[in-house]
Amino acid sequence: MKPEAIQIDIKNLKKSFGPKEILHDISISFDKGEFIAIIGKSGSGKSTLLRLVASLEEITAGELLFDGVPATKSEANVKMMYQDSRLLPWKKVIDNVGLGLTGDWKAKAEEALNKVGLLPLKDEWPSTLSGGQKQRVALARALIHEPSLLMLDEPLSALDALTRIEMQNLIENIWEKNNFTALLVTHDVGEAVRLADRIILIEDGQIAYDEEVNAPRPRKLTNPALIELEEKILNRLMHGEEEPLQVSETNQGNSLKAVLSN
Amino acid sequence: MKLDFRPWVIPVVLVVIWEIIVRLEVISASLFPSPLTIVETGWNLLVNGDLMTHIGVSLWRALTGMLIGGVIGFVLGVLNGLSKKSYIYLDTTIQMIRNIPHLALIPLVIVWIGIGEDAKIFLVALGVLFPIYVNTFHGIRNVDPNLVEMGRMYNLKGWSLFKDVLLPGALPSIFVGLRYALGVMWLTLIIAETIPTNEGLGYLATNAREFMQTDVIILSIIIYALLGKLADLIAQFGENRALKWNASYTK
Ligand SMILES: Nc1ncnc2c1ncn2[C@@H]1O[C@H](COP(=O)(O)OP(=O)(O)O)[C@@H](O)[C@H]1O
Ligand SMILES: [Mg+2]
Repeated sequence: MKPEAIQIDIKNLKKSFGPKEILHDISISFDKGEFIAIIGKSGSGKSTLLRLVASLEEITAGELLFDGVPATKSEANVKMMYQDSRLLPWKKVIDNVGLGLTGDWKAKAEEALNKVGLLPLKDEWPSTLSGGQKQRVALARALIHEPSLLMLDEPLSALDALTRIEMQNLIENIWEKNNFTALLVTHDVGEAVRLADRIILIEDGQIAYDEEVNAPRPRKLTNPALIELEEKILNRLMHGEEEPLQVSETNQGNSLKAVLSN
Repeated sequence: MKLDFRPWVIPVVLVVIWEIIVRLEVISASLFPSPLTIVETGWNLLVNGDLMTHIGVSLWRALTGMLIGGVIGFVLGVLNGLSKKSYIYLDTTIQMIRNIPHLALIPLVIVWIGIGEDAKIFLVALGVLFPIYVNTFHGIRNVDPNLVEMGRMYNLKGWSLFKDVLLPGALPSIFVGLRYALGVMWLTLIIAETIPTNEGLGYLATNAREFMQTDVIILSIIIYALLGKLADLIAQFGENRALKWNASYTK
């Protein structure tokens, strides 16, 4: 059975921890196979949103639907990657990749490691790997399950600039070759612009901004339309809502459309 | 592996000085037998088989007690580490018993259980139970919750979650408990073997006291020390094997 990317519908979703409401009334839909980047200041509720979608936290109010079915009843395979790789230090690389698999998984795990370019390191302990290598293993571990939805919570923010670019290429590549919806939280606007079909800004527990990125792939960061978009979003991030939003029209075949959601 | 002799310089010098002092008859040889006398005594006891019998009996007491106490401590530690309910019901009781110095129970143990093997094994088991319990419990409790969450996301639950995440995560702490418990094991045994008996290292020492055989007394003390060191080395070896992933990290 070939895994299918899922459509996600979030309707009037709220999340509180105790008396503190972190997410207020979020409604948004993500298309099948869409690559969404979520940006926002630290503490704005990005991780919380991801954890809700992954059913790691309980929804306080509202609905979360996967292909029209409540997430809790859905069989959809959801996997998450974190900033720390969360590899089990007591398992060799290959055993980490095969975690939770039964039967004859070794060949599959080797194939997954090969996809992320780490097959030669399969018998190493995780502690001997670099940060980038660890994230590759974590990616292989998620991929082997052929998820319909892959969430990435700042997976590259602890990596150096060069490794980050390599990993961005790898993630894009894998996303293009497989069929899954991707939700990426990042604080790097450039990364969002570089990877996502759509960029969402969460501010004070609400979706403040929702913008499509229509540049063709593979994208070059030198693409003026992307540079302009990045600048616009950075401006929006830094100066907040009072700054009048400029809807830019660029004429390089890439329509950049600002959709204010509220 | 290259052996470093430097740590052994002082012990060797001390033993040599001791030998010289006794030879010069500065102190009484019957109260302070010379190292060579002790070696000779040990050799004789070894040849006639007595030494091995006594060591064997003591080892058996130590290990049986360790096994019983260790298993109980481990199971309780795992149980309370995993289940909040179990913790609420059991921990206070365990802590209360833990606060009684188990050696203070000797008179009661003699009255209740007698002076046989059971009493000695019971005391050892009681002594080792708590360090194993406490360290297993904390080991399980302190496993990184992020790893547990990750494990659940990858379909681990029940036994597989325990075997792949919780137990390995708790293992470093469990080994700390084990090594501490080994110390308690010998200490308990030394004292428990002063309960009248006619076998074991404690008997060897107690019996020798009756006849003022200081060489035998010192010999048994040295053997206790050697066995203690040996047990710790074995535990350390096991620890290094089991925590290889950890060792490569600290390297
Ligand atoms: N389990 C929790 N209990 C209480 N408060 C939480 C919990 N998780 C997150 N929060 C709070 O929710 C807010 C949003 O956190 P988070 O979603 O992690 O933000 P972000 O990922 O955008 O930095 C923060 O104020 C944080 O303190
Ligand atoms: Mg976060």
